[in-house]
Amino acid sequence: MRIPCPYCGVRGLDEFAYLGDATLIRPDPAAPGAEAAFHDYVYLRDNPAGLHRELWQHASGCQSWLVVTRDTRTHAIGRVEVARDVAAARGSGAE
Amino acid sequence: MAEPLVARSALRPHVAPHASAAGAHGVTLREVENLTLASVAALRGREAELVQAVRAAYGLDLPTGPARVASGKVAFVGAGPGKWLAVSSAPTEFSTLPAAVADQSDGRTVLRVSGPKARETLATLIQLDLHPRTFGPGDAAMTHAASIAVHLWQVDDAPTYEIATFRTFAATLWRWIVEAGQARGLDARAED
Ligand SMILES: [Zn+2]
Repeated sequence: MRIPCPYCGVRGLDEFAYLGDATLIRPDPAAPGAEAAFHDYVYLRDNPAGLHRELWQHASGCQSWLVVTRDTRTHAIGRVEVARDVAAARGSGAE
Repeated sequence: MAEPLVARSALRPHVAPHASAAGAHGVTLREVENLTLASVAALRGREAELVQAVRAAYGLDLPTGPARVASGKVAFVGAGPGKWLAVSSAPTEFSTLPAAVADQSDGRTVLRVSGPKARETLATLIQLDLHPRTFGPGDAAMTHAASIAVHLWQVDDAPTYEIATFRTFAATLWRWIVEAGQARGLDARAED
């Protein structure tokens, strides 16, 4: 599997570290129902057969966190976005 | 009065053995000593100010990608989005730049690998394609060589490559390159 890093170019899987689902957003601990929200945030995951947006870090390269769209059936890599840009676009997390 | 800290080479002959093949040398390995090294990271919202400051001080345009620009004794090498490694062969005060600057002079070792067999030697350690079609003078990359994190760039068409690594890995990387260059007419000499 090869991932095109927006900064470095196409690199092998060995240079990347996997984190997981990129669509999760940390719940507000002060909001009502926070305990249940945190349970889902920490434990519940979808397991899609198909496209999955997930976080990868180019750990042996430029260290960027990336949001990679991967087809879980074929490992085909679709879009690769800089995680910081994704967070900024939805107005959450570190910009 | 405290003595100033002076960066010393991580390479000594007992950890970085000399090697010199008989006949013509296909690849030469040396340490690039007495460098001033600094990591430079742009501060959010002040990127343009940093670009201006580097242009004013060194006459260089910071590369936005994995590339190296050099003028005189100073070079800047792309180290990720908004990050650079500043390299100078003379004492240079990079900390005045409007950025997060951290001295790396005693933290990293820079090796120089050059000669007609340099590319072939590095290809045994580095998975990156260094063929001139895709990688040439001025290009830079961060990757790993034999599982050691490296930041490398090409200087000229000899070809000459320079490889920066954390100093604790310098001797191991040295021995890997010596091993890889064994059948390629290697000449390797760390200063005593
Ligand atoms: Zn990268």
